[in-house]
Amino acid sequence: MIKIPGVAAVVSALLLSAEACYAEKLTDNLEISGFARVIGGYLSHSSRRFDGYTNEVSLDEQSLLAVQPSYSFNDKLSVSSQFVAHTSDDRDSGLEWAYLSYQPSSAWHFRAGKLRTPFFIYSDGYDVGYSYPWVTAPVQVYNNYLFSNFNGASASYYHAGNSLALNLEAYYGYFKGDLFLAGTKVDVETEVEDLAGIVATINRNNLSLRMSYHQAHNTTEIPNVSELRSQLYALGYNDSAKSLESSGNVYALQTSLSYDTLNSFYKAEWVNIVTGYEIAPEITGYYLMAGRVINDWTLHATYSRSEYSAVKMSNELPMPPTGNPQQDMLSTAYYQVFASTPNGNLDSYTLGTRWDFRMNMALKAEITLLEESRSRSGFFMSPSSNDSTENAYLYQVAWEWIF
Amino acid sequence: MRLIFSSLLALTLLSAPGAFAAFASERIIIVTHSDNTGVRLSREQIRNLFMGASVGRDLQPVALPPGSRTRSLFNIKIVGLSDSRVQSYWAQMKFTGRRPPPQIVNSEEAMVQYLLNTPSSIGYLTADTDLPEDLVIIYATD
Repeated sequence: MIKIPGVAAVVSALLLSAEACYAEKLTDNLEISGFARVIGGYLSHSSRRFDGYTNEVSLDEQSLLAVQPSYSFNDKLSVSSQFVAHTSDDRDSGLEWAYLSYQPSSAWHFRAGKLRTPFFIYSDGYDVGYSYPWVTAPVQVYNNYLFSNFNGASASYYHAGNSLALNLEAYYGYFKGDLFLAGTKVDVETEVEDLAGIVATINRNNLSLRMSYHQAHNTTEIPNVSELRSQLYALGYNDSAKSLESSGNVYALQTSLSYDTLNSFYKAEWVNIVTGYEIAPEITGYYLMAGRVINDWTLHATYSRSEYSAVKMSNELPMPPTGNPQQDMLSTAYYQVFASTPNGNLDSYTLGTRWDFRMNMALKAEITLLEESRSRSGFFMSPSSNDSTENAYLYQVAWEWIF
Repeated sequence: MRLIFSSLLALTLLSAPGAFAAFASERIIIVTHSDNTGVRLSREQIRNLFMGASVGRDLQPVALPPGSRTRSLFNIKIVGLSDSRVQSYWAQMKFTGRRPPPQIVNSEEAMVQYLLNTPSSIGYLTADTDLPEDLVIIYATD
């Protein structure tokens, strides 16, 4: 794992090579390309943290530098990899993906190795800020993705008929590593097996519909919770113990519709994640966005929302105080687990602009009003659990570059 | 919040400022080798082909470099997107490892030569280009 000292490294790397405009072909077979982003942000809240941002200007939360070497053996067979250096401590730097790619014809594409998970529209390209108009893609959809890559294989089929273009992708694999919950790295290792998904994208004229379904078997052992669960089983509180199981199936469903014209674009995306175990609530996230393009400038507005369902806890344990201190401790621990599980809603309103000042560079600025309509949306991090509803403005500027 | 809603509405209702009007009068032709004379493609199919989809034949799209005026015309008239949006699209495709962008040649002269030498390729040129005998037009914009 490589940790870079901070944004200074990214900036100096950018300045050193800012003249190199496009992908560099080192030989006929080897191509090196990449991208970088420098992002500054400020949150107008005196005590909370949102997506890493606080009320001090920070350049270290989302800035990154990525290098993508690709080697072609022939027209059909190639190997590609991507190395990403993140300035944020929440993201691991190093090899993001590496795979063997086989394209027997223009209709088929097979890949095998370490791949990015194509959950939602921008999941596999989340780090490539240049590819979307926002500084930060809606957190209610994109910060809930559980993990960014997997080991396995994928098959993709493309066809363009007279009026419809179709892309079908199916993948299968496994994942072992850090788990994210509402954008924050949970300090436990998770094991995902039998990860499988199918993604269908249909384009007709300016309209694009993407639908996908993903499922996996997930095991995440959080040490404190596992210990509590064992104690509950040992004391015969089977219902309560069972509600703390953190192993089971996870299902994610996504639908999005985009409409693009020369001067404007509209996009709506909706996602729903359900788990087969009770401690993890169901989450629904969506956003609606409209934008206008005026020469090199883009203006956009987005409304976004996330909703957690209520978690199903058992009411088998007596509420403290019961007169039995040991019993009270157990009950308190049990109810605290559920009291710290996110079950709120977050609404956000974003206004932003993007200026494509060079063919491969863009500057962006945006302001987002974040409003919890039900407390504990899971996004506002605070030192203590608290049932107040929070709101704040997030101000961000970005420099995006592809080479 | 009210401000943001009205801005959203304003964005939607704002009439087209005619940003791309300067290009309107110039025409683009889609050209391939005469070996492919029978090929008929709709504007939509050409768009899909240049955005990386297969049209059932192994026709390889060839593009001019970003910044080229003819490329902008092609993006506006066939793809229906501004240059920077097309750039964003290819950044997404390339850096997610999904599809490589089309082969790029540096000038219209190089395009003519490439199409002559590579019969399975398809490219675009401005309508006033003198076409050699071995190249045929399969689509022309208004």
